[in-house]
Amino acid sequence: MSHNLTADSTLRILHQVLSTATNHASAAMCRWVDSVITLTLDDVTEVPLEDALSRLDVGDEMVIAVVLTLHGNEGGTLLLMFDELNGRQLAATVARRPASIEPKWTEIEISALNETGNILGCAYMNALTKLIDVELVPSAPYFVRDFAASVIEQALMAQAISMDNVLICNTTFHRGDQDLNWNVIFVPSDRLRIKLEATVELIG
Amino acid sequence: MNATTFIEAKSAALVRMGETVLLRQTETARSVVGSCAGLMIYHRRLKLAAVAHIVLPEAAGRSGSPGKFADTAIPHMIDLLRREGAERVSLIAKVAGGAQMFGAAGPLQIGDANVRAVTAILTDFGIPLQAKSVGGAKGRKLTFYSDRGEITVEVAGETPFIL
Repeated sequence: MSHNLTADSTLRILHQVLSTATNHASAAMCRWVDSVITLTLDDVTEVPLEDALSRLDVGDEMVIAVVLTLHGNEGGTLLLMFDELNGRQLAATVARRPASIEPKWTEIEISALNETGNILGCAYMNALTKLIDVELVPSAPYFVRDFAASVIEQALMAQAISMDNVLICNTTFHRGDQDLNWNVIFVPSDRLRIKLEATVELIG
Repeated sequence: MNATTFIEAKSAALVRMGETVLLRQTETARSVVGSCAGLMIYHRRLKLAAVAHIVLPEAAGRSGSPGKFADTAIPHMIDLLRREGAERVSLIAKVAGGAQMFGAAGPLQIGDANVRAVTAILTDFGIPLQAKSVGGAKGRKLTFYSDRGEITVEVAGETPFIL
């Protein structure tokens, strides 16, 4: 059980380590959507549990998310999140068809986003696996349309179970100069977090 | 849900993860929960309610905000209400949340344990659980009303209802 805040220097090195994984994910996304998509790791931060949602600027808005859960001793959750419009546009790009305006998401749209999450998540996890020498095996992608706060809350549970402060990594997307309203939020479990921090201390 | 309710919900205080608030008279609060439990214990005549956003079933010796754990939140809520003149014998509870998000493969499915802990501890304190909306796989957006002792529950893609 840990209540200690991670040192700023550790967070800075952790940012570098996770940026490498983000670059791998960025390259995979470019190949997948056949466009220049850049992922930027904006924030690696540790905050009290109660402040996590405001730090991520999420609330009761509806989001589309593809969830990848990490199996094994060192687990965690990776969320690929969009607002409705951006999710639909990405699904249309991947499926090579016009964006749907129907309220209900079609199987093809869901499948397109799930596959996107799978490709992005596997690239991210493969890179992390090489860096920290721990095998990280993501689950099958799971599509969620729900309140943003509910989705993030569940992802935070893997740390909240034993820690009062949570480590969160927030990544944003850009296409050329255009900001995309897509986010990847990575929440390592308490055990993976300890492993990451130990690796970082060795590097430092 | 009528227009008045919607306006009230937007102006209500936000109860964040692990927090507890006390509501008097016409005050309202709101919260969004997934696997967490949104618990309201209220006194109908005094129009007084304590609301908690419970994250985990038990503190197991951990420090921190009492609202975070079911076994510390409920005694804390009872104490808050007692200080305002609400005797335990007149208290009633309602709870919503405890979803199993992300399907069966999701991490740390704690929702059911949260609800079971809340139910057992309320029983221990002799506080009746008058209504609940728990479980399922979706999050809930909750608005708590102390004057009516009600919770408005919104679930994605479903019609809002009053608990």
